[in-house]
Amino acid sequence: MRKALCGLKEAATLVKDGDVLTTGGATFHRAPMEFLREIIRQGKKDLVLVDREPAIDFDLLIGAGCVAKVRAGLLAFELLGFAPNFRKKAESREIITKEGACQPIIAGFRAAAMGIPSLTVRGMLGSDLLEISEILGSQREVEDPFTGEKLIAVRAIEPDVAVIHAHEADEYGNTRIEGPVYEDVIKAKAAKTVIVTAEAIVPNEEFRRKPEATKIPHFLVDAVVHAPNGAYPCSCFNRYDVDYDHIREYIAAVNNDRFGKYLDEHVYGRAGLWTNSKQRI
Amino acid sequence: MDKLETADLMIYAMSREIENNNTVLHGVSSPLPILAMSLARKTHAPDMAFVSGAEGVDPDVERIYLSSFDPRQNRDAVGYFGLHEVFDLAQRGELHVMFLGSAQIDRYGNTNLSVIGSIDNPKVQLPGGAASAFLMPITPKVVIWSARHTPRTFVEEVDFVTGQGYNHRSQEQMKNEMTIVSNLGVMNFKNPDRVMQLQSYHPGHSIDEIRRNTGFDLRVAPDVTETPFPEPQIVELIRAMDPDGIRATEFG
Repeated sequence: MRKALCGLKEAATLVKDGDVLTTGGATFHRAPMEFLREIIRQGKKDLVLVDREPAIDFDLLIGAGCVAKVRAGLLAFELLGFAPNFRKKAESREIITKEGACQPIIAGFRAAAMGIPSLTVRGMLGSDLLEISEILGSQREVEDPFTGEKLIAVRAIEPDVAVIHAHEADEYGNTRIEGPVYEDVIKAKAAKTVIVTAEAIVPNEEFRRKPEATKIPHFLVDAVVHAPNGAYPCSCFNRYDVDYDHIREYIAAVNNDRFGKYLDEHVYGRAGLWTNSKQRI
Repeated sequence: MDKLETADLMIYAMSREIENNNTVLHGVSSPLPILAMSLARKTHAPDMAFVSGAEGVDPDVERIYLSSFDPRQNRDAVGYFGLHEVFDLAQRGELHVMFLGSAQIDRYGNTNLSVIGSIDNPKVQLPGGAASAFLMPITPKVVIWSARHTPRTFVEEVDFVTGQGYNHRSQEQMKNEMTIVSNLGVMNFKNPDRVMQLQSYHPGHSIDEIRRNTGFDLRVAPDVTETPFPEPQIVELIRAMDPDGIRATEFG
């Protein structure tokens, strides 16, 4: 085992301008927010973001000007409405959007995890989304060689970097996740570079004592960062809940041309880790 | 009816689309489906498998949140089942019921969740269809809910086909059912032409009013009837899970 523990700044240098990036979690849950704030502080550009159902994680990077393209099944703020920066910049064509659907995006990650160029899925035929995807070269109608059934072949999605926020990791990158896992393990297998940010760094003996709790083993992980409250304002199951009030403030900031101020206060103004003790449970 | 009463009526109608022993999934931004699934499990479908978009299986939904993936909704779940696993199940034909939304819907049941205007030059960039294009044609029953039944949402032709209606399906997929539950009535496609027809109108709304609020010539089922309003004990079950009235959010 090789030691992978490093600082937030050092880990963020693994992300290069123009990289294809995916994040762990789903909507407002266990997104690696502190890592993304560091990406913004480092001024990364032209990122290509891909995920099934992202929310404030992608929207924050889009608003901060780090993004060239977005590919998602759905990008919205749940019952709080539209993803405000995404909507603005998609409608003004400042970013390119390539809408996918949840299953082809997950299947693309799975194909990459399996080391194969594509994976076939059912459904999709008859949707205009397929036409866009065929033009983009990400999906194509095919015939199953054994049954003749018409299916969709989804091209593998191999992100340059996957960033996953987890509950516990050791210094080598062994990672534990509590509660819903989403596609985090698949993404860790699919990506070229995997960065884990963790609420706590625990001794390696902890992992050896209970190996069945390990969701991602060390050899898949390139960098581990200690990031308590690293998902904030998103939730981290068993640790803290979503801060819906913060997300409302974020939306209001974007919609009232105060997003620059939001970034100053919550991103650029904080060089270190987020510590909001009221969110701890 | 006020917003909460309309929501309660829709939740009750949606819950009755679930049969006992069904395996049922809800997705993102889905307060009405979560409440309908919980209600079905507490009443007529105790043996259904409730698979949450938050990944919990058979959770006891104590209350709902502004995020339908909020992990607090997984309270007392028997286990976790990830979305990629539910999608495997759907491809096997073993996910029986799915609830989906729509910004526009047409007479054949095509839904648009992608864009108002053209895809190359959107007037409104919508959030995206999530699982719609995958699940709509292959799931035995899809229930679409709409809190805004107007000529702008029930349209002659959708701007973009995100989810496939009956004129965008293979012959084999024609057998899969769709039900639309709106704030005005319940619609289905149970006719040889597979076009939308009004099956029931909600109390306080007339057939004429619903046809006027539909952007195409809405058929009326021969056995059209009034949608039943839930009994007080049903309403009580719904309200206990949503004391803050989050279910009224979508009603604008």
